[in-house]
Amino acid sequence: MNQIIKITFALTISCVIAASAMGLAYTMTAKAKKHNHHMNVYNAMIGLLGFGEDNPAPSDLKFLNVYRYIVEDGDKKFLGYMVPVEKGTEEAYEMVLIDLEGNFVEKLEVPISAEKAEEAQDRAKALQKVLAAPKIFAYADASVIATSGGKRLGYVLPRKFPGFRTFIHGIVAMDPKFELLGLEIMEHEEDAGLGKEIEQEYFRNQFKGKSYEKLKTLEVVKKPLPVEYKKYLEKSKWEEGMFTEEQIAEIRKQYKDADIYAITASTISSKAVTDGVKNVAKKFAYRIDKLDSVLKKEKIHAAF
Amino acid sequence: MAIKEKTNKQLFVDGILKENPIFKLALSMCPAVGISTSVMNGILLGTAVLFVQVCSSCTISLVRNYIHPKIRIPTYTLTIATWVTVIDLVLAAYVPVAYKAMGLFVRLIVAFAIITMRLEMFACKNPLPKSFWDGFGMGLGFMFAMMTLGFVRELLGSGMIMGYDVLGFKPLLYFVLPCAGFVTVGLMMGFFNWIEVVYERRKKG
Amino acid sequence: MKSIKSYHLLVGVLLIAALFLTGCEGAGHKFVKKTEFKDSDKIVLTFAGPVDEVWATNVANFSCYEKPDPDIVLTIKEAVLSPEKTKLTLIFEAPLNTGEAHILSTTNIMSEGQDMGAALLTVKKLYFGVLMTIFLGAALIKNFVFTKYLGLCVFFGCSQKRSTAIGMGMVFTIVIAFAATMAWALYQFVLKPYQLTFLNIVVFIGLVSLSVQGVDTILRKINPALFKAFGVYLVLVIANCIAIAVPLILADNEYTGWESFSLALGAGIGFLIALFLMACVREKLELAKVPPSFQGLPIAFVTAGLFALAFLGFSGLSIY
Repeated sequence: MNQIIKITFALTISCVIAASAMGLAYTMTAKAKKHNHHMNVYNAMIGLLGFGEDNPAPSDLKFLNVYRYIVEDGDKKFLGYMVPVEKGTEEAYEMVLIDLEGNFVEKLEVPISAEKAEEAQDRAKALQKVLAAPKIFAYADASVIATSGGKRLGYVLPRKFPGFRTFIHGIVAMDPKFELLGLEIMEHEEDAGLGKEIEQEYFRNQFKGKSYEKLKTLEVVKKPLPVEYKKYLEKSKWEEGMFTEEQIAEIRKQYKDADIYAITASTISSKAVTDGVKNVAKKFAYRIDKLDSVLKKEKIHAAF
Repeated sequence: MAIKEKTNKQLFVDGILKENPIFKLALSMCPAVGISTSVMNGILLGTAVLFVQVCSSCTISLVRNYIHPKIRIPTYTLTIATWVTVIDLVLAAYVPVAYKAMGLFVRLIVAFAIITMRLEMFACKNPLPKSFWDGFGMGLGFMFAMMTLGFVRELLGSGMIMGYDVLGFKPLLYFVLPCAGFVTVGLMMGFFNWIEVVYERRKKG
Repeated sequence: MKSIKSYHLLVGVLLIAALFLTGCEGAGHKFVKKTEFKDSDKIVLTFAGPVDEVWATNVANFSCYEKPDPDIVLTIKEAVLSPEKTKLTLIFEAPLNTGEAHILSTTNIMSEGQDMGAALLTVKKLYFGVLMTIFLGAALIKNFVFTKYLGLCVFFGCSQKRSTAIGMGMVFTIVIAFAATMAWALYQFVLKPYQLTFLNIVVFIGLVSLSVQGVDTILRKINPALFKAFGVYLVLVIANCIAIAVPLILADNEYTGWESFSLALGAGIGFLIALFLMACVREKLELAKVPPSFQGLPIAFVTAGLFALAFLGFSGLSIY
């Protein structure tokens, strides 16, 4: 009996020490983790918009988040957009409810600060206050609108879509005319040496510059990637004087309406990414048009 | 004093060569096969294992007189799990890109037989300095083996070392494919055995 | 004899699960018997009786969207009615994302002049199909040993003889199914709500040890003979990193209870298959002439490499 008590005591003590050590490590790293994740995403977004070391981003560049929710009221369904609006100098959020055909239904003020709006939990709490009981809402996705000097520079869409193995997390960027600005792959579980190549520049840069019209019918072709085009796509490996201005313009023109060249031995992954990008872009273009017309009609002064 | 220092050194060297956890003891084979596709992966996971091994060895060595023999194994597991959680959180926070490349394996260090074995065989019987050197040697031995494997696979598979293109072409894509890990480890083990056989033969005559 | 008994147990559990899951399926309208995806761009509706051709072939009577995107209506290119007028195939313009549930609404269904009322139907992959996909994925396509390289220590240690391989594989399957289901419950109801997910590693490894101890005690009481045969493998389960990888994977992917169970079962069966195959080869290898420096583990590794290459062939396999 004495022994049991002794063992229990010893185990409890060790568990408490271990748990506090882990708790300490967690609290110390949680902030850095979040910050690093944010920086990672931020840098990727800046890069997608075409800014970098030799082309610094304008100082008034702003990333504005539009959060999309699906709101249910009985058997009726609405789309709820949480939109940043201008209210004097302060930034505030409004929930704009739109029915499935794209007609305005209701506009609600959301009591939340810009900083807190980035947290899913804080957003849910604030929305709970304005969308009361019979209404149910579920978070769908967030889209980022980049603005500078009151003008839209582009749309940045962090999304996930099915890949060959599991889901691929990527960021698709489009300019205001829905021309693709680029694609960044953030997370995936494709095979090393095969599907993993989707992260490589020679694959994802192929999406750059595709017009919205072309994008709708974009296909994957199983042809070898032309050597010259590959060199052009691998921008980070460019050396001084490798391409002249005319050459760049010519390559760009030649391949502007080309389909996506599949990665050797990874056609399924290539197709999955292409379909994913196509879907993301098409859905977003459709929705932002509807949202813009509603905002204009109802004279809601969105910050973008 | 001099003898003791030598023993420490001996412990350290043994961990790397004579008792190399991967090539000699054939323990913790999963990461050796799974993520030895590049030298960088080897260094990163090696560092994590080194950290966990040294910290766990030291912890157990410090409290070795207070551990009730009946709950020895749970205490080891708890210690290892704690240190793994710490390194997992730290890596996830400060080197997210590398952390992603290693996937599940950082968290799976908790199930590595090599660490528990060193605790049971060595750290619970020896004082702190000795345990430290033993753990350090074992950790470095693991790292060394991972780097060797990574070197071979990266060079043959993608023609690169540490991400720098050295060959300019890909000799055998097969080696970076996931399934080549087994073959590489098998060939390397055979190669080391062969060296040993040749060496023994030379020594004899 | 003993092993046959446990086979029965496993098959029984599977059958019950299958019955339970298939019993739950319903289309959402009394006149519509079944809805299902076909190919990549078709949805097939099966009605309880014949429907009017004029109504059925008019695509304007149907509208369909993916469940998370209610505002984007998918365009239906054509509606084809089968000769016996009970099966309607809707052909869509673009390939469907069959991983998502689709909502299909119709105007009032007309059957032989009678109005059967409007229908709001959910079209989705059979839940049992989803579970089978996870199960097969874990057992073959993403076999934990040959494509994820986990559990190798035990894999090489226990694959010298066929009898050992089977014993180890069975014990492992039972323990992992038990442990993973508990891990799922603990993760969903305790760790996640209280934001303690950083304790995952400790909790899961504790749970695995606990399950091993639990199975040990139960087996010892209920069936001492079986315990005598398989008891030795129980301790080895803790040293198997698949046992800790499965709970971590199901926590990362937010699987539901049944999905977790099929993942664990698949992982266990996959491990059993790998062990058995390897043991068969290694028994033969004993008779082969192997160079002295390759004897033992090195040649086993090279063999495993060939198996891994063969298992790559399973990728792309899909039944449901």
